[in-house]
Parts: sequence; C-alpha cells; structure tokens
Amino acid sequence: MTLLDFVRGPGFFWAFTILIAGIVLRIAGLLLFRRRRDLSTPRDTSRVLGGLRTVAMRSVPPHELEKNIKFQHFTGYAWHLGWFVTFLFLGAHLPLIRSVLGFAWPNLPNSVILVITAVTLGTLVTLYVRRLFHPVLRVITDVDDHISVLLVILPLITGVAAFAHVAPFGVRYETMLGIHLLSIEALMVWLPFSKIFHVVTALMTRFRIGAAFIRRGVRA
Amino acid sequence: MSHDETRLIDHLRARGVSRRGFLKFCAALTSAMALPPSMVTVVAAALEKARRPSVIWLPFQECTGCTESITRAHGATIEQLIFEAISLDYQHTLQAAAGDAAELARHEAMQANWGKYLLVVDGSVPLGNPGFSTIAGQANADMLTEAAKGAVAIIAVGSCASFGGIPMANPNPTGAVPISQIVRDKPIVNVSGCPPIPIVITSVLTHFLTFGKLPELDHLGRPKVFYGESIHDRCYRRPFYERGQFAESFDDEGARKGWCLYKLGCKGPVTYNACATVKWNNGTSFPIEAGHGCIGCAEPNFWDRGGFYDALSVTHWGTPKDVAIAAAAGIAIGATAAVLARRKQAAASKEIKP
Amino acid sequence: MDNKAHTALDAIAVKIERASGNVPPLLHEIRHALALLLDHGESTCIDLKSMPLAPGEEERIVAALGSGEVHAEVDALGLSEIAETAFPGVWVVSHCDERGAIQARFIEVTQVPDVLRSQHSDIADGLARLTTRLTVDG
Repeated sequence: MTLLDFVRGPGFFWAFTILIAGIVLRIAGLLLFRRRRDLSTPRDTSRVLGGLRTVAMRSVPPHELEKNIKFQHFTGYAWHLGWFVTFLFLGAHLPLIRSVLGFAWPNLPNSVILVITAVTLGTLVTLYVRRLFHPVLRVITDVDDHISVLLVILPLITGVAAFAHVAPFGVRYETMLGIHLLSIEALMVWLPFSKIFHVVTALMTRFRIGAAFIRRGVRA
Repeated sequence: MSHDETRLIDHLRARGVSRRGFLKFCAALTSAMALPPSMVTVVAAALEKARRPSVIWLPFQECTGCTESITRAHGATIEQLIFEAISLDYQHTLQAAAGDAAELARHEAMQANWGKYLLVVDGSVPLGNPGFSTIAGQANADMLTEAAKGAVAIIAVGSCASFGGIPMANPNPTGAVPISQIVRDKPIVNVSGCPPIPIVITSVLTHFLTFGKLPELDHLGRPKVFYGESIHDRCYRRPFYERGQFAESFDDEGARKGWCLYKLGCKGPVTYNACATVKWNNGTSFPIEAGHGCIGCAEPNFWDRGGFYDALSVTHWGTPKDVAIAAAAGIAIGATAAVLARRKQAAASKEIKP
Repeated sequence: MDNKAHTALDAIAVKIERASGNVPPLLHEIRHALALLLDHGESTCIDLKSMPLAPGEEERIVAALGSGEVHAEVDALGLSEIAETAFPGVWVVSHCDERGAIQARFIEVTQVPDVLRSQHSDIADGLARLTTRLTVDG
C-alpha cells in the first residue's frame, strides 16, 4: 500500500473517527461535570442574552488592554480567518466537503486562495518565531503549544507545496499529497486532546460564563 | 521456426523499401521513441546493423487487450513494420499454428536462440491454484519460469503483467501476481497501461533493436521516456486547473468549455504515462481530451483506489453510520469519565464539609 | 422519433478555449532557428509530436506559417508531404503511413529537407538498373 493509498483509506477513516469520538467525548465530559448550584436570587433572568453578549464582548480585547495587544489581536484574527478560508474555499477541498456534508458551495479562484494562504503562513510563522523569543511568551509556552502550532502550520505548507507542484528533495507529487493528508490526519487526532480543542470550547465557555454571571447582575 | 539471420535493413530492402523510405522510417521511429530529431542519424546507423531478434510472446491471465492494442494496424504502420523487424516466433492470438505444433515451435525457437530471445508477457500469473490458468496443460508460473531462463530480457506488457492489474483487484480470487514477483534474476521492463499505448510497446522493442539494451527505467520499472511525467504535468487543460475552473458534472457548462476534470475524479496528477503527449489512435486524442477523467490505468492497484469519479481529495472518511458509532463511543467514554469525576468531586466535598 | 438518425459530431456544442498558447513561443523558436540557418548554415528540426499541444493547435501553428512556393510529395512507405511555408527555409514535413495516418510531423528549418534528397544507395541502385536496361536493350 502506498502512502497515498493509506492516507486516503484507513488513515483518514481512523483519524476522522478519533476526531468525532474525541470531540463528543470531551463535550459529554464537560457537560456532565458537577457544578455547584447557584442558590442566590437571580438579578437578571435573560441567560441566553447574557451568554451571547459575553461571546461578543470577549471576542475583542478589553478597552484598557487594547493598546498593548493590538498586534496579537489583529494577527490572531488574520491567520484564523485565512486558515479557514483556505480550508473551506479551495476548489480541490470542496469535493471532500461535499462527500462528508452532502452539500458544498462555490470555490474561490486559486490565485485568491494562494495569496490568502501565503499571508496566513507568513503570519503564523512570524507569530511562532515571536513566541520563541519573547521573554514572557517563551516562559509560558509548553509542549502542547509547540505541537499545536506546528500541526496547524504543516497542512498549509504541505498543501501549498502539493498544489504548486514544488518538489523539495525530489519528492513526487503523489508523495507530497500524501504528506499533506497525513498532516491533516495528525491534526485531526491531536485536536480533541490538546489546546486546539478551543475550536469547540472557546465560544461554549464564553457563553457559559456570560449566562452564569448575568444571573448575578454582572456584565462579564 | 528458426531465428532469421538477415539484417533488418536487408529485410526492408527485400520488401522494396528505398533508403529514402528507410530514413523516413527512422525519423518516425525516433519521434515515436520520444528521442530528439538529432538522434535520427544514430537510430539509422544502429538499425543498419541490427538483426531481427527472436521474440516469444506468452499470454497469461489477460483479456488480450494488449495484443489488440499493438495490432490495430492493417497497413504498413510503424507498429506493423516493427513486427516485421522482429521474428515473432510464438504468439497465441496471431500465429497460424495451434496445439502441439505451436508448443513444439516455441521450444525450438527457445533452444535456437537460448540466451538471446526477448520474452514478452501479458497478463498476470495466478498463484492461488496453478490450474486457474494454463497453456497446453502447463501452469503459467511454470511456463514463465522456464521461458525466463533463456531470455535476454523480459517485457511485461500491460498493467496485469506489470502490477497484477484486474485479476489482482480486491479480493484477488486467483492469487494473481505480477511477472516481477516470479522472475527475479532477469531485467524486466514494465510497460504498464490498460492497455498501454501501442507505440509505447513497440518503442521498447525498437529501443532494444536499435541500441541492444532496454531503455532507462523508473522506480516501478517503466521506461522513463514515456512514464517519466504525470498526465497532469503535460495535460493541455492544466491552465484551467491552475485557475480553479473545474467541470462540476459531465456535459455541464464547464465540461463543454473543456475545463479541468479534477472534480470528476481525474487521477492525472498521480498517474504517469504518455497519454497527454503521444495520445491514442495515432495521436487522435486521449481520455481527458474526450471529456473523461484519467482513471490511472498505468499505476499499480488503480482498481482499488476508490471510485473513478471521486476526486483525489475525496478520502474514505467512512459512512454516517460510522460517524454515529464514533459519536456513541465518545458519549460512552465521556459519560464514564464524567461519572468517575463526579464521584471524586462528591468525595472531596464530603471531606470539606464540617 | 427524430428525422436525423445521428447527430453530427460538430453539432455537439463544445467550445475549446485557447488553453495552452503554444503558438507564439514556437514561432519565436522558428525565428531563432532561421537566424541560425542564415548566419551559420545550421539546420534545426522541431518534432511537433513531442509537444503537448491543445486540440487544434497543431493546425494553428501550420496555418500561421502559411504556404510558399514548394509543395512536394514523397511516396515511400506511404505518402510524405513536404511543403515550404511562407518563410523560405521553414518546411513542414508530414510523414504518413500507407493508411494515410500521420506517423510524424516536423518543422524543419533548412535549405532542403533530407527526405527530398536522393540517397547514395538509391542512386547506386538506379545506376545499376539503368546500366542493365541499356545493356539489355543494346
């Protein structure tokens, strides 16, 4: 079995299965966790609105800190958006999306995606290098962060290499495509059990905090 | 039938071919071998000295498509002339003799040319049960082993002989294997394809005729000159791929405009063959030009690589049922973890309470 | 049932967009070859079958070169057509087999394509035959 056959076959099947099982596993665990009941009188009963407001407010830095973290704020959003646009709007990805969801949408022109991907990759690499040399970030970065960053960058690099048919070390196209799929499978297996699980928990957490605090009359 | 000692050029002359005709023949051959035009004089000089080699063609578990491919000629095409340039001493489909007479002729040819004849094989060899495919009562594997001993080289024609092909496709009921898995001690050229392009088959024979050796091979044993580049890299529809203009279904707007067939399952990017340049039916067209994606027939296991109409990016992620089972497993494990955690929490809070 | 039993192939609405743009680069290559021929007497031969041309592009290239003063046919192992284009020194040589199928197609930049020249061994053959005929006829 060649690398490509493996990553298009059993490799993807098991990575996808682990991804689904892992996400559901962790959500179930989180939701079934025991929480202390709030026995105080509710100051405001609109929990959903409170939750949504917190999701919105915590999606931008607090006004007081904005000046200090503007760079991280904008670059963070930039690469996140770029990453998802690349994944969801490249023509070559849409047949896979259609096969999983049963429907898809129009793709963006390849030249547009290439520019977006290049900017995303440049931003990611810059932020990672900054993380390695910044006096504070260096100290608080752990193994989880390193692996997560690398697993997010690898699909972009290998994807561009495959798409543009560049052949480092004489690697043939089908091998580069196989490596690209392998990097995605590594990301899928890593996602539920690492910091990258924030793709699920980020909005969930903000909503929960907002809903909990609005009861106490706090705009969180 | 015994080996013909005449030189190829004398044979052509006897046929009434002038030297001008011979030079035209060499020019066409050079082009067919994908050599630059400057090599015509080299080819001509080599062919002047060449003798007609003996060729034994053994058909095993095959559909005869490869023989059909090479013989789709009724006049003096290059292919036909190549057949005149070689002494085809045994070929089931084409020979007049049959039965014991044919087998005797084969043995005589092998003996007369021992160590010098070219062995051409099409079809895979079944190892599951020797009785699955036999010729004159002899199992394919035995016939191959015996014939390979006296061959100077072996040309495995077609994907079945090269890689196992259709017979080897899941679940491989006959235990089919490619030639290279049985013969280990002789040079083997894999001319893969289902079938291979006729001129590619004859070019390998021509190369041997002209230069006395086999052409340079890639990691799968295929002649690099024809299998060195992917279909995708020489496809005239490549600009559409680069721009992201794909046909979404057969006969839609994009298909009529001749856009890229990636989304319709074209395996051009991972298939190495000469279809995009040499083309089929004497350069008439090839599958992509006719509007159908490449099925990857020159690659190993192309029958078992997923649907012909699934794009390369479509992987086997499973079925909705598999997703449901995975989710159910997730819920089960998550709930178990939560229950255990809650017990721990309850125990901890019991300790704290005064 | 329709009156027409078959739809003609050209009734199928397929529009070929100009995909690969091989014509200008090839014309430039021919221009360089012509300069080489003029300055150094060196001939060049371009094998049209070795390039991945889009459908119709081979015809476009030949049409772009036009036709000139010379048009010859060689009848050896099928017909070969040798035509000088509108650019003297640039010839299109098409070799066909006895069925009329094209075996090879070259653009030769030279004073006279080799296939038009009489070959030494053929001349020798002819001399032998003529000598025999004159001897026999007396």
